Amino acid sequence: MALFRASEQLLANSARKAAPWLQSGIQILQRGLSAQAEPAEDEDSGAIEMKGIRLRGAPIYLDMQATTPMDPRVLDAMLPYMVDQFGNPHSRTHLYGWESENAVEKARQQVASLIGADPKEIIFTSGATESNNMAIKGVANFYKDKKRHIVTSQTEHKCVLDSARYLQQRGWDVTYLPVRSDGRIDLGQLADALRPDTALVSIMAVNNEIGVRQPLAEIGALCRERKVFFHTDAAQAVGKVPVDTSSTPIDLMSISGHKLYGPKGVGALYVRRRPRVRLEAQMSGGGQERGLRSGTVPTAAVVGLGAACEVAAQEMAADHAHICKLEQRLRDGIMGQLQGVVLNGPEDVARHRYPGNVNLSFAYVEGESLIMGLKDIAVSSGSACTSASLEPSYVLRALGVEEDMAHTSIRCVAARGKCKCNSVSTPASGALGVEEDMAHTSIRYGIGRFTTEEEVDAAVAQTVSHVNKLREMSPLWEMVQEGIDLKTIQWSQH
Amino acid sequence: MPSAAEVKSLFRQFLRVGRKFPNYNIRHYIQRRSKDEFHSLAANTDAAAVEAAWQRAKSQLEVWQRQSVVYQLYGRKVKTVLELDQAAAARQHAG
Repeated sequence: MALFRASEQLLANSARKAAPWLQSGIQILQRGLSAQAEPAEDEDSGAIEMKGIRLRGAPIYLDMQATTPMDPRVLDAMLPYMVDQFGNPHSRTHLYGWESENAVEKARQQVASLIGADPKEIIFTSGATESNNMAIKGVANFYKDKKRHIVTSQTEHKCVLDSARYLQQRGWDVTYLPVRSDGRIDLGQLADALRPDTALVSIMAVNNEIGVRQPLAEIGALCRERKVFFHTDAAQAVGKVPVDTSSTPIDLMSISGHKLYGPKGVGALYVRRRPRVRLEAQMSGGGQERGLRSGTVPTAAVVGLGAACEVAAQEMAADHAHICKLEQRLRDGIMGQLQGVVLNGPEDVARHRYPGNVNLSFAYVEGESLIMGLKDIAVSSGSACTSASLEPSYVLRALGVEEDMAHTSIRCVAARGKCKCNSVSTPASGALGVEEDMAHTSIRYGIGRFTTEEEVDAAVAQTVSHVNKLREMSPLWEMVQEGIDLKTIQWSQH
Repeated sequence: MPSAAEVKSLFRQFLRVGRKFPNYNIRHYIQRRSKDEFHSLAANTDAAAVEAAWQRAKSQLEVWQRQSVVYQLYGRKVKTVLELDQAAAARQHAG
């Protein structure tokens, strides 16, 4: 009996170092069929329990497009204004107000320097969503007597699309420009869409789902020529790629604090003064921020935004080099070890895509199961698989609508010889006509300033292992491996 | 104009605060960036730029030291999975 106990203990000790699932298996063996309650917490396993999942530790954060951690330098700049220097910047009569106002103006200068603007052109808001609303509704309402048309793209952020829809409901015409398969808009189509009564063109600088960079200089030049205002949602671009309003003809630009290692709940809107852009204010009140955005300016948050912009200006080159290196490592790692993986968006990280955004589609793998399996890394799925409909996101849908693609499926599959994914190009796979609803998954990996090589390696290993595991269970994958043309299959209904 | 010994000492202080930082990502960031910055500082011959960088580095060190305390107080108590795996691997190596 003692020998049995001793060997059990030995097994348990080695299991503790092994995977948690093995350990719980050992526990079941130890307890036999006893009705004893399971031990509540173990040192190694189940450190965090949330939403019915046991996590042994905090996942590796690879979702930088959703939000970024605050840089400690930013937090350091903010703390004094949350402790003793708490004054309202609009109080004109005492030290507390004066020092707050100085801090706000210093932050305004820091934001302006990053984007090549004058401090008078920066309006602080509660975030890029508010900035986008202000720009679109503000310009539209100001010029509503003479103008009736807005142009935007199909891959914009929800707040831009929703603002456009709001205007549509009030009698405005909106053109939603389609994008090419790599996500960039066609300048010819934009030129055709502009009308004499177009008030505003709104095209985002860097897309949050696939990272594609739009040609801001060309779009701006076109708009300037046709006397149309150009607004860009630069939330994912500012602080990461150089954006210069002094050399690029941008009229309005939205900035988000928490996308560039700053605090959440603060952002800015750049409003050009020469030539002047007029806006109707969306927030009524005491006339703060040049009457364009009333409300007490949150000193601490705004100081954080300013500090984040200053740090970003200093670190941009180093960050870019680091992130490019990691992006190469991630993509080579995953695509080198897996077939049937496609990058959504342009490959060229020098000009057409922000390298920190890697959106990959994995064929023959179900979205929900892949996300659930990647417990150790925190990523976002490109498909809105968390929504009830399990539909792919509208941005990825917009990419997939392509004339020279011979069928209705998305991305990975293409007509013969044009297949972008690196699966074997047999005639059968040349017609990999996987339908939308057939097992397609995209994962968005977000790499940032603080991501390390080890984290990327761990993400690659986990992804590869889990995709292989899921594919082994997939009958579709089996059929593809045997060379069966999936389009010829008659799916029977029961 | 800082002497070579002062620069070395500041560099070592950066590495020390980097090692002590409770957060895995920031720890590695400080170590990586300070190595890059100090090596480029050593290679830099422009006296004005070196002086500016030196002053900036000294104030930056204080920021990192303060924040290391804040992160110790308010950081997450549970470690990231990467640190757990590395610790487990180290224990296996040792044991």
